[in-house]
Amino acid sequence: MSKNQHDRAHHAKKASGVGDPQCFRGEAGQAKFKNGDKVRIRDLPDIFYTRCQVYTRGAVGRITKVVYESPAAEDEAWDNTDHPEWFYSVVFRQHELWPDYPASYKNDTLETEFSERWLEQA
Amino acid sequence: MPSPSRSALMRHFDLVGQLQPAYHQPQHAPYPDAIDHAKYRALLRSSHDVGGEPDVPIEWEEKEEEQWEANTFATCECLAWRGVWSAEERRRRQNVDVGETQYLALPYYGRWLLSAARIIVDKQYVTLTELVNKIDEVKSRYEQKSAR
Amino acid sequence: MSDTHKAAPMVDEVSDFEILEMAVRELAIEKGLFSAEDHRRWIEYVHTLGPLPAARLAAKAWLDPDFKKLAVADGVKASLAVGIDWINGPPTKFGTPSDYCSFRVLEDTPKVKHVVVCTLCSCYPRTILGQSPEWYRTPNYRRRLVRWPRQVLAEFGLQLAADVEIRVVDSNQKTRYMVLPLRPIGTEGWSEQQLTEIVTRDCLIGVAMPQPGVTSNAKRPVHPAVHPIHTGH
Repeated sequence: MSKNQHDRAHHAKKASGVGDPQCFRGEAGQAKFKNGDKVRIRDLPDIFYTRCQVYTRGAVGRITKVVYESPAAEDEAWDNTDHPEWFYSVVFRQHELWPDYPASYKNDTLETEFSERWLEQA
Repeated sequence: MPSPSRSALMRHFDLVGQLQPAYHQPQHAPYPDAIDHAKYRALLRSSHDVGGEPDVPIEWEEKEEEQWEANTFATCECLAWRGVWSAEERRRRQNVDVGETQYLALPYYGRWLLSAARIIVDKQYVTLTELVNKIDEVKSRYEQKSAR
Repeated sequence: MSDTHKAAPMVDEVSDFEILEMAVRELAIEKGLFSAEDHRRWIEYVHTLGPLPAARLAAKAWLDPDFKKLAVADGVKASLAVGIDWINGPPTKFGTPSDYCSFRVLEDTPKVKHVVVCTLCSCYPRTILGQSPEWYRTPNYRRRLVRWPRQVLAEFGLQLAADVEIRVVDSNQKTRYMVLPLRPIGTEGWSEQQLTEIVTRDCLIGVAMPQPGVTSNAKRPVHPAVHPIHTGH
């Protein structure tokens, strides 16, 4: 629902007995990426709101799980649920994220989720 | 509503003076050509995005919950349950829209509470006048109770 | 001693937050945004929450390899076995608005140790773990854990070998996480109940590891409430 005068119960109706994000299943079309894909995090302009942490921008990681379909947080932050996307869990090597990460801990990793718009094939 | 004393007001100005943004420049509201890409990005950043910022070790503590904190959590979840906002709207308002100073200087549930007050005004369920009058009414209810 | 050197809390007898909280709740109810009954039910629901179901889930997974597989593959489904229905349990019947219904169980191995943070707010699986601890909500924990996890874990008393992979999981979208820690040695033949008791909240976040005989979180200073919650019993 994208209009101001929307039905307040729109989410309750859609998600009751089903759950969220389960209620958006089947609405995002074909997933662009799959498990194991190497992806780079895009550096889209920051304005007003995002849940894509700046520390991940430009970094290359690997998809470990295609998690669910949901509207992106950037749209849900204004209660807009018109365009669900696929979400992915991505693992990074810590030294990919932080140039000063100690070399003696080269196995350390970090995992976090992204909506599809934030990813490009690496 | 009792009037504040001049000295209370002076203390207010002293305190507000300490709330200036940390990015000190000789001139606030600078000329547009003073803002390069790096400064623009820093200023437009979502204030909740703190991962990786340097900080010093602190003592890890537990905290007992205040009754008003539990009530605030329930109010915010009920507002979402009944469709006044989505949880993501709440997060945007309480973690980013509040701005850097309130984000870092208010208690955790203080921000939840302020954003709940703000949403019912912004979405025109109550007027700001009604909110102000209600706060005043609740306050005087308490003052009467403690005067007894 | 750390409790005593602090100044008394700087609040008047009734704080501005308490006044505003009452004002907002009363207005929302008067305007029909939700009912007093809704609010009461939510408070009641929150009182039923705590880390026990997640601890039981871990204990079950240690005892039953098939259940462990299910837990790692489908955390929401596995939660049903410990009495937590992510979707229909909360009064909404569509999950809690803030915690959603996507739940992953992160399995530690001798070579991988998980630890959870939410750098953007303090997302936490309240549905199965209860309310988050205050330190988890601090900007300090959120700033540092993603970049200096070994230092932060050391402050919590966890020192890990250099070749162990520390995997920090930043809970930034709709999935909520619990750590399934390694079952410690010295617990052979223990019952589900005995095992559940050593899986503390901190173990489930990933800043501690279960040990035989340790049934509570590390002792830390507690900041007291001025007007603590009434639990109604």
